[in-house]
Amino acid sequence: MNVIPGVDPEDFSVTSETEVRTEELLINMGPQHPSTHGVLRVVLRTDGELVLEAIPHIGYLHRCAEKIGEKVTPRQFIPYTDRMDYLAGMNMNLGWALTVEKLLGLEVPEKARHLRVLIVELNRIASHLVAAGTYGLDLGSFTPFVYCFREREKILNLFEAVCGARLTYSYITVGGLMADLPSGWLDQCEAFLDQFEPVIDDLHDLLSVNHIFVKRTAGVGVLSRELAVDYGCTGPVLRGSGVDWDLRRDGDPFYTRMYRDYDFEVAVCRDGKYPQPSPPVPTEAVLGDCWHRFFVRMVEVVQSVRLVRQAIEKYRLAEGDIGQPIKLNQKLPPGEVYLETECPKGQMGFMIVSLGEAIPWRVRARSSSFCNLSVLPELCRGCLVADVPAIVGSLDIVLGEVDR
Amino acid sequence: MAQWLSDWLTLSPQWEWVAYLTVALLQAVILLALVMTAVALATWAERKVAGRIQDRLGPTRVGGRFGWLQPLADGLKLFTKEDLIPANADAVLFRLAPYLSFAPVFGVFMALPFSDGWVAHHFNTAAFFILAVLGLEVFGIILGGYASGSKWSLLGGMREAAQVVSYEVPLAFSAMLPILLAGTMDLVAIGEAQRGWFWNWFVFHDPFTFVAFWIYVICAVAGTNRAPFDLAEAESELVAGFHTEYSGFRWSVFYMGEYAAMAAVCGLGVVLFLGGWNGPIPVAEWLFGPASSTSPIVNFLSQLLGAVNFIIKCIIGVVFMISLRWTLPRPRIDQVMSMCWKYCFPLAALAFLGATLWVLMLPDGLLGQGHPKASTCEQSVMVTVERIETP
Amino acid sequence: MTGPDGMAILFWLFAIVTCGGALVVVLSRHIVRAAVGLILSLFGVAMLFLLAGAEFVGAMQLMIYVGGTVVLLAFGVMLTARRPLLPLSTTRDQWLAAVLLACPLTVILVQAALSYAPTDSVSAQVDAHSGVSTPVGMLPVTPARLGMALLGFSQDNHRPDGGEVSHGDSGYLLPFELISVHLLVVLIGAAYLARREVPSGMTPRDNQGQLQ
Repeated sequence: MNVIPGVDPEDFSVTSETEVRTEELLINMGPQHPSTHGVLRVVLRTDGELVLEAIPHIGYLHRCAEKIGEKVTPRQFIPYTDRMDYLAGMNMNLGWALTVEKLLGLEVPEKARHLRVLIVELNRIASHLVAAGTYGLDLGSFTPFVYCFREREKILNLFEAVCGARLTYSYITVGGLMADLPSGWLDQCEAFLDQFEPVIDDLHDLLSVNHIFVKRTAGVGVLSRELAVDYGCTGPVLRGSGVDWDLRRDGDPFYTRMYRDYDFEVAVCRDGKYPQPSPPVPTEAVLGDCWHRFFVRMVEVVQSVRLVRQAIEKYRLAEGDIGQPIKLNQKLPPGEVYLETECPKGQMGFMIVSLGEAIPWRVRARSSSFCNLSVLPELCRGCLVADVPAIVGSLDIVLGEVDR
Repeated sequence: MAQWLSDWLTLSPQWEWVAYLTVALLQAVILLALVMTAVALATWAERKVAGRIQDRLGPTRVGGRFGWLQPLADGLKLFTKEDLIPANADAVLFRLAPYLSFAPVFGVFMALPFSDGWVAHHFNTAAFFILAVLGLEVFGIILGGYASGSKWSLLGGMREAAQVVSYEVPLAFSAMLPILLAGTMDLVAIGEAQRGWFWNWFVFHDPFTFVAFWIYVICAVAGTNRAPFDLAEAESELVAGFHTEYSGFRWSVFYMGEYAAMAAVCGLGVVLFLGGWNGPIPVAEWLFGPASSTSPIVNFLSQLLGAVNFIIKCIIGVVFMISLRWTLPRPRIDQVMSMCWKYCFPLAALAFLGATLWVLMLPDGLLGQGHPKASTCEQSVMVTVERIETP
Repeated sequence: MTGPDGMAILFWLFAIVTCGGALVVVLSRHIVRAAVGLILSLFGVAMLFLLAGAEFVGAMQLMIYVGGTVVLLAFGVMLTARRPLLPLSTTRDQWLAAVLLACPLTVILVQAALSYAPTDSVSAQVDAHSGVSTPVGMLPVTPARLGMALLGFSQDNHRPDGGEVSHGDSGYLLPFELISVHLLVVLIGAAYLARREVPSGMTPRDNQGQLQ
């Protein structure tokens, strides 16, 4: 947290006599600020360039998603989940669909399972590309942003071919998927992966190992293991602090069996090393700082590419159909169910309480971005104004998910 | 010229000042047009280079295939935009600031030689004058940041003040080396001292000037407030920094200042380190013989060739600055400051010391061939004394 | 005298800028506006130097006074002002002291100006190369000559008519060094004045700004 060597941020609350007099400023960062990733408002109390306090204010994008879930049937709710983490709509769809399936005790056919892995991992790549690109933008580097979006566009083209939508897909549904893949799609997808893999190295050159980038992120906004766990941080934010925890491996059996015969490594720093292939960790980086949070995502992209390749093979070999969506007004069995899935931003959990009707009695969403954002005041204390975008960007929040 | 105009118009002596004023205005307008052209080209190049770097095309619609008229369209759009003055702002200073920021850069072009004979005003202390005037640009920016009455602007202005005032020191230090080598602050003489093949350029004079050249490059980028040192307007941190509250015409004046400053520091660097109007191969000397030819046409052609050389080098410099902007992330303000005081400044001082010793120890260069104008301190003292003795 | 020549027009223009800027400094109750006035005034003086052919001094004026001092002044103002656009108030005592100081200075300056014998402006030689016009009999002022004078080799004690260079003369080096030490003292003093003084019993939190 303390980013200026030899300066304890606590010193600035007790003013010493010899200090040059500067004004304490209250600065309103957002909701229209360019680097708050949406409509986040952070009030900064600064002494010159030094941030004494950062208070996030949220709620600008609250759309009563949970309440709506209690007025519509589970399949009708799918489009609303798209709009939570709108950068990873497929993952949101999957989380909700799996939760309802768990309540129904439904298991999708093999082919649908592999297709789901393929699609959500592609979407994870797309989401992490946005995170990496906008992070470069936060640090003043415009070009990686365009490179990332160029690659993301290709993924969105693939999604468009699958479901007709580029952002709000509603593709994965309860009981299966809305449609099977169009012909020739898998070849296109493989062609994309082939040309995408070298681009990851480009991004490493432009960002991860770039000297200025390392200087800006290494040792900034250090989130300790304990603090990360205490605040309920999940996903890359948690793994960036060195906690070896990934729901795809460690989660609910109903979720992990989706990945049961897949081979991948959890993107976490073990003994100073990340799963290969990845560039070495710079010496300045401290576990839990912005650099590690960023880098976890870059490593996860590589792992997701691996998963997508495996999923393509398995899908090709799988027999049968892709499952049948449940009826629009299917009665839900009474009961209570909660399931968390590993989304690009972290663990997204859905909870359903059903009284045996077609419409759930209670719907609740546990959003990863919300918990990850809650740690912001801790990270920003004593940093410089320029570090605030660096820290916010490294948390990779989506306000649609924070506010729901 | 004023005399000629007054004779031509057969003005009475009482009205001679009209001719004088007309000519002065005319020259100012020509210079302004030149600066504006440079600015327009620089904005176009910025868009095009950024596009190419980012796998895009850049402007293609306005003015044919390459979007040549994009700067014009930009200008038209900016001039028709609403000029807002925030309620919190100090209106007088707010209005004044953009012009205070642009005017000094314009002043630089007054002293900047384009070739050995083409210079608006031949100062014998041109290098010093340009450094002095370039430093004034910052005041407009501080003022703009302060007068906007916005906290983001104020932070941007404060950053700019700290940054530019700091980077002026190593900038001046590295600019001292060519001045030392040529023994004069006259930019025309400095350029002439690098006549001949490209190894006569001061950047290749000795290892210290080579280091000083790169320090100059860093400080020039920082001094003109260009990315990666654009902390005063860092859009991801300070919204838009000092020009957050500016719009329309006043905003564009700030931008003209920035692009003109880019061209100006490139021009100064070219004259100081990269041989000015002397091409890498002394084609001009083969073609036109030694300087000060009698025929006005040959003289004009030689000047033109020099100016073309100079402008090409400037363009390379500007494109280099643009590609820097679209490649690198932005360092933090404390890193920028420590880079200045912990690396650039000591290095520049060492390079200065080293170059002094080099000239003292090896006045004829490593191979003994020597530099036409390089002289030891002792020699320069003697030369100066001689100059004083012979009025 | 014929009609005004170009130089005279420019002279009057910059003279007006100088005096106008000075008036703004004195009369403005707004500290940053006063700083801008000071800039204009110093800039006008620099331009007058340039008009007189003293390019080095003109550039010096721009760099040191306009560039350095005023930027530092603006920086200091921003750091110390309690809030933006704070008006300055001048007490009657301060006015009195200022007037008492200014009057003798004015008298001295006016006397100096009047006692200066006007040179014949027609007899000026124009340097063919640089286009700088200097009065006949005087050498063009180049930085080289200034530097030599600083070290003691000035035109005054080294006549072209065969006089010896007087090595005992220290030139202006000593005063120059004294001035730089003086400026250093001023800088330290400014930093001392700018330091935070917290009245006893008041925490810094009390004076924090309000979010609008």
